[in-house]
Amino acid sequence: MVVVERKELTLAERLYLPEIFRGMAITFRKLFAKRVTRQYPEEPLPTTEVTRGQPRLVVNDDGNIACVSCGLCEAACPAYAITIDGHETDRTIEREPERFDIDMLRCILCGFCEEACPKDAIFMSDELELADYTRQALVYNIERLKRPKSALQARIDYVYRLNDRWQSSSSTS
Amino acid sequence: MPDVLVWLMKAGAIFGILLGTAAYLTLAERKVSAWIQYRYGPNRVGPWGLFQPFADLIKFIFKEEVAPAGANPLMFRLAPFLSAIPAMLTVAVIPFGPEVRIGEVATNLSIVDLDVGALYLLAFSGLAVYGPILGGWASNSKYSLLGGLRASAQMVSYELTLILCLLAVVTLSGTLDLREIVTSQAERGVWNVFVQPVAFVLFVVATFAETNRHPFDFAECEPELVGGFHTEYSAMRFALFFLGEYCAMIVMAGLTTTLFLGGFGIPFVEDPHWVLGFLAFMTKTAMFLFLFLWVRWTLPRFRFDQLMGLGWKVFLPVALVNLFLTGAVVSLLG
Repeated sequence: MVVVERKELTLAERLYLPEIFRGMAITFRKLFAKRVTRQYPEEPLPTTEVTRGQPRLVVNDDGNIACVSCGLCEAACPAYAITIDGHETDRTIEREPERFDIDMLRCILCGFCEEACPKDAIFMSDELELADYTRQALVYNIERLKRPKSALQARIDYVYRLNDRWQSSSSTS
Repeated sequence: MPDVLVWLMKAGAIFGILLGTAAYLTLAERKVSAWIQYRYGPNRVGPWGLFQPFADLIKFIFKEEVAPAGANPLMFRLAPFLSAIPAMLTVAVIPFGPEVRIGEVATNLSIVDLDVGALYLLAFSGLAVYGPILGGWASNSKYSLLGGLRASAQMVSYELTLILCLLAVVTLSGTLDLREIVTSQAERGVWNVFVQPVAFVLFVVATFAETNRHPFDFAECEPELVGGFHTEYSAMRFALFFLGEYCAMIVMAGLTTTLFLGGFGIPFVEDPHWVLGFLAFMTKTAMFLFLFLWVRWTLPRFRFDQLMGLGWKVFLPVALVNLFLTGAVVSLLG
């Protein structure tokens, strides 16, 4: 048998008022404490190159889109969010997408398109905000997906570092 | 200027002050709760969220009113008014300030100065119990009914303590006129809080129970009763319950100021200008209102049996003994 020793309450504890005042002193100090709320639209979310946001298409420094509309990302996409139609160009790189749509409502931000791309043409940006009034407006066309290479450079470097590591070391060897 | 016009202006001004304070008290409540919890509180509507009460009001007006199918139509519609109107009526006898003189017009800064002001106030604040109980019963919902029952039991039992503490002050001052209670404190040169500390503490705690505020808000008690007696209310009728609660808080804060903190008097100042007196009264009342909010966001809720035990087994005997001792001392010292 276990006999639990109950602590005898002192008079001050039984009066309850001193403890109330102690609690109120604590909450009064907290009135002036630093606020932890992030004021969201004004204070955006912190992002790094590891942030896997919405996919964006790379526009090279010469102004041409890096995509050759091979369709690998379209095939890799588990959510069937990508639709590509290609056409021919006069440049040395003979193909580019005529139409490149990503349905952002379907996109699950998995990054498979980024992995599948043989031309380093699609990368996961740090853009995360997605809001509009209609579903149709959230199917992004090629113009809304284009980003200059400099804007995606941090992510591109990160992906290269990651690929190097996979090539140089393996968990099975 | 005819007396009626003066009286109408006074009534309008004081009523406006009451409703304005109630509106901004809702904002203050949200702000204080936010600050205590490391948040900012409403800050989107106007500078520092100062127009939030108006946004809330517009929302309340445009919301759809929903009444449960089994609700008693008359009582369901009547209850919010029974909750809000007594709280608004009680403000009539609170003396907001000393005599105002503008030109030839001289009038006391309160809607009426009744000889039995304290009695009037108790009578009407006693009526406020009908709001929760009728609202709870007429909603035809078990949560509402339980909330209403708790509210009525609690308000009735704590009213006793409230009255006994008030009687101790009345015994000291020898009058039921709230304005004379204020002047008697000024004449004695010491506020009643120092003469009647026990009555003061009991009175303040009883006020919390009487206005259904934390830590005694069993009428609402979200974790157990959804929303208590106003579970089934929506839109403007819900807002009326809210308004009644906040008006009752303001009146009770004003009453505590009047009874125990010298009302509109300022220590060591003989016959202050009426603006100063009014500001002194408002400052003291605001302190009590802040206390209401502060306590709400500090203390957890009691258990209902603890509340009743505290009311009947502790507060009532202590208040009775206090009243008896006060009476004895007053009659002996004459």
